[in-house]
Amino acid sequence: MKKFFSVLKREYIQRVRAKMFIVSTLLLPVVMSLFILVPAIILSIETPPTRVAVVDQTGRMYSQIRQALFNDQQETDTQNVNAGAQRTTSPRRSFSRFTLEEVNATSQSLDQIRAGLDQRMRARELEGYVILSPDFLSHGKADFINRNPGDVFSTQVLQSAINRATREQRLIDAKVDTKTRQDVFKPVELQSVKAGATGSQQSNSNAGFAVVFGVGLMMYLAILLYGQIVLGAVIEEKETRIAEILFSSVKPFTLMMGKLVGVSLVALTQLAIWGTAFGLFAVYGVMMIASEGMRANIPSLPFIHYIYFGLFFLLGFFIYATIYALVGSMVTTAQEGGQLAMPIILILVVSFYLFWPVSRSPDSPFSFWVSMIPFTAPVAMVVRIVTQTPPFWQIALSLLIGFSTVLLIMWVASRIYRVGMLMYGKRASIPEAIRWARQA
Amino acid sequence: MAANNTTVKLDRVSKSFGEFTAVRELSMDVRAGRVFGLLGPNGAGKTTTIRMIVNITAPDTGTILLFGRHIDSNLQNRIGYLPEERGLYKKMRVADQLRFFAEIKDLRGKEVESRIDDWLARVKLSEWKNKRSMELSKGMQQKIQFITAVIHDPDLLILDEPFSGLDPVNVELLKEIVLDLKRAGKTIIFSTHQMEVAEKICDDICLLNRSQKVFEGSLREIKRSFGRNSIAVRCEGGDGVLDDPTLVSKVVRHADEVQALLAEGADAQTLLKRLIASGAVIGKFEMVEPSLNDIFITKVTEPA
Repeated sequence: MKKFFSVLKREYIQRVRAKMFIVSTLLLPVVMSLFILVPAIILSIETPPTRVAVVDQTGRMYSQIRQALFNDQQETDTQNVNAGAQRTTSPRRSFSRFTLEEVNATSQSLDQIRAGLDQRMRARELEGYVILSPDFLSHGKADFINRNPGDVFSTQVLQSAINRATREQRLIDAKVDTKTRQDVFKPVELQSVKAGATGSQQSNSNAGFAVVFGVGLMMYLAILLYGQIVLGAVIEEKETRIAEILFSSVKPFTLMMGKLVGVSLVALTQLAIWGTAFGLFAVYGVMMIASEGMRANIPSLPFIHYIYFGLFFLLGFFIYATIYALVGSMVTTAQEGGQLAMPIILILVVSFYLFWPVSRSPDSPFSFWVSMIPFTAPVAMVVRIVTQTPPFWQIALSLLIGFSTVLLIMWVASRIYRVGMLMYGKRASIPEAIRWARQA
Repeated sequence: MAANNTTVKLDRVSKSFGEFTAVRELSMDVRAGRVFGLLGPNGAGKTTTIRMIVNITAPDTGTILLFGRHIDSNLQNRIGYLPEERGLYKKMRVADQLRFFAEIKDLRGKEVESRIDDWLARVKLSEWKNKRSMELSKGMQQKIQFITAVIHDPDLLILDEPFSGLDPVNVELLKEIVLDLKRAGKTIIFSTHQMEVAEKICDDICLLNRSQKVFEGSLREIKRSFGRNSIAVRCEGGDGVLDDPTLVSKVVRHADEVQALLAEGADAQTLLKRLIASGAVIGKFEMVEPSLNDIFITKVTEPA
């Protein structure tokens, strides 16, 4: 056991101390923060409001449009309310603020009005103007003459405001009373409630999906990043010809386990650092969103579930990492190994698709078996826990089978490794590997 | 021979890899406190024998006793092994490396640090203590590898071609260390096919050829049993005499002298008389012990 820790310690310290590790560990959060901060900075650049004039020949649309355009933002933007016809607002993001003004359409002819507005546009007093013809409410077509047709955001916000205003005005014209009008536009809410749960306990299917996806993605990333490193670590002693010295001191199984756990701890260290950084960004993001008045949904799941997710993440990581170790025991160089391990890693990708059948019927025999098979269990069992938590004995059994498989694969790998070491420079074919495992 | 005097005892040990028999029915005794030379040409089974002694592979049949006990992984801590295939962790610093190799022999703590310093001083590499091993020359690396085999003060030290690739100064340095260890009561198994080196430091030898033992015993005995049938001659003329197959079975011509191996039944006096009679001017005529190299070549090329 002491020798196991010696191997583990060497593996861990040598890797954590390496420049590559330190650089890559620090670089990711920096890159991540750039990705978050730079757009935020760009979006926060204050742009002057878009000044739009409305030539309302219908005579009753202007106030509706103004209401539609500014009402949405009233919650978040109350200090900006100006008296009279002109109001400035910042709908959600500051890239489309508006200043609205009404142009009296009765005193002058349309051509005169247009000439005057064009004049003001040239003088940069206006960004554009909307002309609503007298029969606008029947055909719903209007012109937005503007200096910058490329500003799609403003056009869109304006169009949607006019759209809402028109709908409202048409209902008013049809003599629909205020209450009915409000009722018509009230949105529908479909709540999915877990069977047998009390009314207050809502099923969190979206959060569930996010968690499954999160655990799966973490597993996939960890394997992608560290599988090859596990492989390299197993081959290291063969390439540097240290294996024989080691085997005169340490049992192959002890050596292999020390290496696997050592590299895994390196992986977990890096993931933990990244996770913390990501967590901080996420908290920052949630605070940003919350400060803008939106509610941020944090999945509310029982605490024990998070422990399960951690355990199944570890299981998934180790199951696939041991595959790399097994491949490493058979080959003599890391390049050979990468290709050999790839087909097996595809099983992980395929197991993602289990989300759909398992989440639809988490209690079926199919779901039971895929959550017991070590290679699919990490995804399948997490899905089951989120959708319809299985009895504890099933979770425990799945973990037991999984971690036993890890030990078994490592045991086989260490036997192949030992025999392979005695025959330098020879790569084992699969049948040979099986024979070596049996004869060692 | 008493068992407590025997560090390693092999009794009819065999090991095969598939069709190929690497070691066949090998019995030998390695006596405590002596340097035991395990000699033989390439592929004779030396390395396989050693691997069985250090418990890397198990024999198919036969028994191996180490310090009077059956080998197990705990006994591995009392062995220091420098294999022929050896290396170092390239990016690891020398001191870290030595500490690791001590740890996997269950040697930990402050003791290790002072031993690292002592050994580095002894092989004159103290100033390289904190360098990565990839910065070291091949010879330096080899000395570090040697330290990995002895840092835990093993009772049995097994060296497989320890001097290959070293310059004469470093060969001398390591040879002195090996002899010091022997004086300190350690048992040393020394595997090589370089007979000149083996001749200088081995007390006992075992010669393997084609998976089998050819002979075993002390170097003295072996040389004596071969008899003094080798003669170093320096002379002018008399070539015809040396070419007479009834007198001389083999002639090896060196730069300034000739080594003649007497034919069976011939004796040195007759050869000397014949040389004088042929009118040769003799500068040197000396009966010499056969070198281990001669014995090796004779035995290995002998039809089985």
